[in-house]
Amino acid sequence: MGRSVRTALFGGSSVRRKIFPYLLLIPTYLVIILFIYMPAFDALYNSFFRVSVFGRRRIFVGLQNFLSLFTDKDYLYAVNFTLVYTGTTVVISIFLSFFLALLLDQKVPGSKIYRTLIFAPYAVSYAVAGALWGFLLNPVVGHVNYLMRILFGIQTHWLTTRPFAAYSLIFASIWKTLPFNVIFYLAALQSVPSEVMEASIIDGASSWKRVWKIIFPLVSPITFYLVIMSIISATFQSFAIIDVMTRGGPGIYTTNLVYKLYLDGFRFQKIGLASAENVILFVMMMIVTILYFTYGQRRVHYQ
Amino acid sequence: MVRRFLVIVLAVLTVLSFAKVKIQFWHAMGGWRIEVIQNMVNDFMKLNPDIEVEVQYVGSYEEILAKLISAVQAGTPPHVVQLNEISTQKMIDSGVIVPVQDLIDKDPTFDVGLFLPQVLNYYRVGGKLYSMPWNSSTPLLYYNKTMFKEVGLDPNNPPTTFSELIEACRKLVKKDEKGNIVRTGITWPLYAWFFEQYMALQNQPLVDNDNGRTKKATKVVFNNQAALNFLNLWNTLTKEGLMINTRRADWTAARQLFISQTVGMLISSTSDVALLMNESKKQGFELGTAFLPLPDGTQRGGVVVGGGSLWILKQKNQAEVDAAWKLVKYLAEPGPQIVWHKATGYYPIRVDAIQTLLVQGYYQENPHHLTAILQLLTSVQNYNTQGAIIGAFPEVRNAIDMAVEKMLTGELTPKQALDEAEKNANKAIKEYF
Repeated sequence: MGRSVRTALFGGSSVRRKIFPYLLLIPTYLVIILFIYMPAFDALYNSFFRVSVFGRRRIFVGLQNFLSLFTDKDYLYAVNFTLVYTGTTVVISIFLSFFLALLLDQKVPGSKIYRTLIFAPYAVSYAVAGALWGFLLNPVVGHVNYLMRILFGIQTHWLTTRPFAAYSLIFASIWKTLPFNVIFYLAALQSVPSEVMEASIIDGASSWKRVWKIIFPLVSPITFYLVIMSIISATFQSFAIIDVMTRGGPGIYTTNLVYKLYLDGFRFQKIGLASAENVILFVMMMIVTILYFTYGQRRVHYQ
Repeated sequence: MVRRFLVIVLAVLTVLSFAKVKIQFWHAMGGWRIEVIQNMVNDFMKLNPDIEVEVQYVGSYEEILAKLISAVQAGTPPHVVQLNEISTQKMIDSGVIVPVQDLIDKDPTFDVGLFLPQVLNYYRVGGKLYSMPWNSSTPLLYYNKTMFKEVGLDPNNPPTTFSELIEACRKLVKKDEKGNIVRTGITWPLYAWFFEQYMALQNQPLVDNDNGRTKKATKVVFNNQAALNFLNLWNTLTKEGLMINTRRADWTAARQLFISQTVGMLISSTSDVALLMNESKKQGFELGTAFLPLPDGTQRGGVVVGGGSLWILKQKNQAEVDAAWKLVKYLAEPGPQIVWHKATGYYPIRVDAIQTLLVQGYYQENPHHLTAILQLLTSVQNYNTQGAIIGAFPEVRNAIDMAVEKMLTGELTPKQALDEAEKNANKAIKEYF
């Protein structure tokens, strides 16, 4: 675009400076409106209706969808399972990854190889991770049961019995989310100023104290970020792992909110009800995000 | 001269290519069957050069229905879609389909009288055929004759009652020195389809109003002794370690257990006949097939046709509907039906196709295909064996699956499981919209 054309289009330079940024934002906003805001409002709108399978008939039911969800024992169970599953996965994953990052930060021979090995699960998609663990935990041909039989003489139906289905799921999810957290912790550890560490050594702090009183507070912004990210991934991206590994079973034992949403929306085509579930999840995520922005910046120690 | 000829040929081809009607055919048959279907459609296109069919394997029956709904709402419905049997009422209510009956009535070349009544009866609702029956199957008992011989069971006398079944399972169990079970009796996929079949086998309906055939179903009627017979068997086999259960609807896992000879018997769809014949040969064991065993002292009702059918979707362009009808008609012809039957085990759904196969001596060489057909043909024909028609069928199945899983993990007794399944299924039927 020649300069003259630009001037013709946007007038003088001051006007151009005002309009031009908005013009650049248009493509982004188009995408966001089309793929995020419109579906979100659509879901909000649909959540007040009972909609027939192909969407040809709809009745306004007010808040009935929400009411029936909160009086549905299965839905409340799913809320409960989501909390337990997300809580366990996030807590274990955060502490384990911090610990692993500390180890990987040591200058030992072959640390690069260990790092690569630990990062490998990150390159695998959730669905593939689920399928891998599905194979490994297969009661008949799975390696886990093969080893268990040889070593301890026990056989477990990992994916079809309580409580092992939940254990398997939590284990696989941690395995999958661990590398992401480790990468971030490693980066954070490397930015811990060496003067502080040296000073603490001179002052005679034990290594236990150094880790929990100095390093952990110093990397707290990353911890906070990782907690939020892990909550989001354990709540939403867990769908693929659950679908591939347990299909929410046995019974509704491993059905979390996202899997319940999938069942109601895509298996049973209850569009109104599924939209209501969607709105509830949206609100939950909103709360998490608001917490992140209000408390995150204030409470966490930034250098 | 040659040049002029070429120009003419090119011109004709261009005109032809413009005149071609393009239609889409979605199906849910994965694996080796993708190629079988593609070849059948290729044959169709050779016979009908003016029609171009785009075949797509869209995923499982559940996925195909979900994607169909989005496609219809986006205003670009596919032309022919294969859906499972339990989608029937949903599709009738949808208002987006062209009932196959309307096309049959207008087409004098098509004789629906040649179809197996057992198959037609399932898909006819209120006397009207809404979709074209296509891949029809029923459950069948598969057993490992070699293993039967090894443990002293008569390979030519498979169990016919529940007590014989339990006996046979007990004999098939093999334990290692630590007492772990390394081989056991039986498996079937954890899927309510088998529950429905066992209701029909005992000549019992699943829902009221003649299985939803004379009026819309208002509630399930399976909370009775017949259902308890089956759940008790399932529970006993599981508790005694005579059966291995899969995840929900995991057909592959059940087949794998049987093929790897971890179990001696398998109840699965007749659509697995061809696959299991091949795999048993590869694994070096002799395959046996039999009718489903019955609870002791009950009379045999029959099996219900399962599987899928072909639906034609409403289109703006009538020529596309006509082309879709031609394709559907072709796929139900004896030739393609025989190919399909041999490649999978799904029934040839026409009397003339079965006749041809009989004359060719196919069933003498393939007795397992014959067992499957005989079990269907000897079924009592009434509302109970025609199968239930329920709008909320997927939810009803889910209610049963859930309750069965809870029973198997020891949370519920068989009776409690039935109560819970009944409660949730009735709720789903009431909420169907």
